[in-house]
Amino acid sequence: MIELTNVSKSYNRGKVKAVDDLTLTVKPGEIFGFLGPNGAGKTTTIKMIVGLLRPDAGRVAVEGFDVAKDPLKAKQVTTYVPDYPAVYERLTGLEYLNFIGDVYGVPKAERLDRIGKWLEIFELASVVTNPIQSYSHGMKQKIVLTAALLPAPRVMVLDEPLVGLDPRAAHQIKELFREHCDQGKTLFFSTHIMEVAEKLCDRIGIIHKGQLVACGTMDELKALDRTEQSLEGIFLELTDK
Amino acid sequence: MSRLGRLATVIRAGLRSNFGLATLKHRLFKEKKDRWLVPVFGLAALGVLPTLYGIVLLIKGAYLLLQPMGQERALLTLGILAGQLLILLFGIYYVISAFYFSRDLEMLIPLPLRPYEVMLSKFAVIVINEYLTVAAVVLPVVITFGVLARGGVGYWVNVVLVYLALPVIPLAAVSVLVVAMMRFINVSRKKDILILVGSILLIVLALALQIGLGRTAGPQPNAQAVTAFFTSPDSLLNRIGAKFPPSIWATKAVAGGFSGEGLANLALFLGISLAFFAGIVLLAEKLFYRGLVGLGETTGKKRRLTRDEMSRRVSSGRRAVAAVFAREWKIMNRTPIFLLNGVLVVVIVPVIFVLMATMGSGRGGGGRGGDTEAIMKIMTSANPLYVILAAALFMTICGSLNGTSSSTFSREGAQFWISRVIPVAPREQAAAKFLHSYLVAMLGVVTASVVAAIVLHLKAVHLAAAAGLALVAGVLLTVVGMIIDLARPLLDWTNPQKAIKQNLNVLLAMLADIGILTAVFFGVKALIKAKLAPNVVLGVVFVALAALAALSYGILLRFADKRYPEIEA
Repeated sequence: MIELTNVSKSYNRGKVKAVDDLTLTVKPGEIFGFLGPNGAGKTTTIKMIVGLLRPDAGRVAVEGFDVAKDPLKAKQVTTYVPDYPAVYERLTGLEYLNFIGDVYGVPKAERLDRIGKWLEIFELASVVTNPIQSYSHGMKQKIVLTAALLPAPRVMVLDEPLVGLDPRAAHQIKELFREHCDQGKTLFFSTHIMEVAEKLCDRIGIIHKGQLVACGTMDELKALDRTEQSLEGIFLELTDK
Repeated sequence: MSRLGRLATVIRAGLRSNFGLATLKHRLFKEKKDRWLVPVFGLAALGVLPTLYGIVLLIKGAYLLLQPMGQERALLTLGILAGQLLILLFGIYYVISAFYFSRDLEMLIPLPLRPYEVMLSKFAVIVINEYLTVAAVVLPVVITFGVLARGGVGYWVNVVLVYLALPVIPLAAVSVLVVAMMRFINVSRKKDILILVGSILLIVLALALQIGLGRTAGPQPNAQAVTAFFTSPDSLLNRIGAKFPPSIWATKAVAGGFSGEGLANLALFLGISLAFFAGIVLLAEKLFYRGLVGLGETTGKKRRLTRDEMSRRVSSGRRAVAAVFAREWKIMNRTPIFLLNGVLVVVIVPVIFVLMATMGSGRGGGGRGGDTEAIMKIMTSANPLYVILAAALFMTICGSLNGTSSSTFSREGAQFWISRVIPVAPREQAAAKFLHSYLVAMLGVVTASVVAAIVLHLKAVHLAAAAGLALVAGVLLTVVGMIIDLARPLLDWTNPQKAIKQNLNVLLAMLADIGILTAVFFGVKALIKAKLAPNVVLGVVFVALAALAALSYGILLRFADKRYPEIEA
């Protein structure tokens, strides 16, 4: 579960308000899609959930752990995939996965099982002993995703996870999201692909100029404006101000 | 846009992005973040003043000694030559990293620019870096000389011109070697290793050159030769500069001012510099891109691991501190620029001392080396306290005055987000980083101990005492470097060189280290003045350093817990 309560964050000494009094709860077993135009506050919100940014006001909690007061417990149950896969280029894929397994304390048997499974699915098995430096952008994205899945976290937070992936991998990721949440876990991700959000998400939030302008299931969003029936139409309508 | 205009634009962009002027302006005046740096630098400058004053007095003394013999201009040659050799040595690092490891190259190459334009934009950055590097060596000499010799307008104008052209010849020479080396290396698969080996070879070459230039004296001179030498004006100048004539031309250009001799030598020096410059422009057109394209790519063989192999290579679970330590170790050792500036420095610096010492004993032919050895032996047996302290200082400098600890957070760069999101307490991460930096420092202490044993002929017990002191001092200096880097980590770099070699934190840490060592020096002086027994002095210094080390380590861990959440990655 993710809970944001009256969260605000501004940059440049308060001159630019990136997130403005945001309150939002993502329940266990839910896939939550977070939409918004460029610069709306999506990445800032995500970074506050995973503890990369500190809110100026409000509270962020993951699985009941306050991210500011109990950061290690919150981090232990969360994994994060950033919008750009900046990973240790000089390590091999397997060394990186081992590092993540070590710091999250994943037992060896589970590590072997999960690494084997995800490397096969993402077609990385034959390159896992090569330096990450030699990977393509998509392969780097896949190794970061594999690392995020390795601890089998209660909460996964992903910033534009489908960018740079080939159609097969994107399809597998979507299935994996569903599988993850069917186990009662929580998934929060941002995307610009309306179709993915519409088909995959249990609930969708739309952020605009730092404020949550809409939040709910697809049906609830459609009910907001009877003339617009597609998510794209609703999105354009809500963010055209 | 004209070709020259386009070149100016590329060079301007290169300088702006490399020296981060826009970012600095933004941080100082808009975000008002780095304002605390201004008084810190003010203080650091004040701290350097006494040392600078000492250097100026030394130069003045040498000038007054040489002037009656008509040899004073040799001082200028010495300063200029030392500056150019320094450029040569640092140039190897600068050229390799700026030409081949700047990530903005990926952005520059697809632009409609000629190879020489891209290379010159990088060359300009290196030249500015070199001006800053050699300022400390060359400026005190030329300014003190100018004041003492009452240099006219011609002197000062020529000083400026010579200083501006000073890096061109050595840098062009290094560029030729590096570009040729890269052209050869890029055809190979093991680029990283070859770059490393190549760089070491170039450094050895530069050192050999330095030593070669140092060995200017022939066999033991007799009295007649000495008299002849000193009665002929500028004989010393010619002797020092004999192996590298541009330093003679530069000296004569500066000292001669607007006289015929001055202008002729200025024309010669600037002309040759220009020719070297033209040479590298031509070279860039032919070879630069060939060595460059594809350098950032590494290929790996595709091979699927068997279940057994996978089982062996999947870790069975290390403690978090061990995992972070292993990550630090691997990344440092596999990034050529980090390895060159961190681990290799602690090995190379002591070796340079050995070479210099053997050079010193070799100079003047047979017999002198034996004398040096005898003098050392007498010194070590006469007053072991001073020798132990001097050896400890040497070991500490060799172990700690490198950028490993003071760039430990900066080196993470864009990957720092990983350290922020993993469930490992910042104090544990700092502890792992400390272990890594300290291991490098210990490597330096060990190498320096071997050197001290060979060169200073220390007894085992004295060596052990010195190493003990250096090891506790190493803890303190490592922690200080880490705290400085943690206070202001430089994470937004595109060229790994920036994280370690051009990182302000490394410079600040070195200044802090020098400050600490100076404080220790005065403390020891007071203890000796109090007429304490040598063993007591050593004991007090050891205990004081150990207490400071323990205290500073505790501060580091607490600071890590406070600082990590504040660093917005």
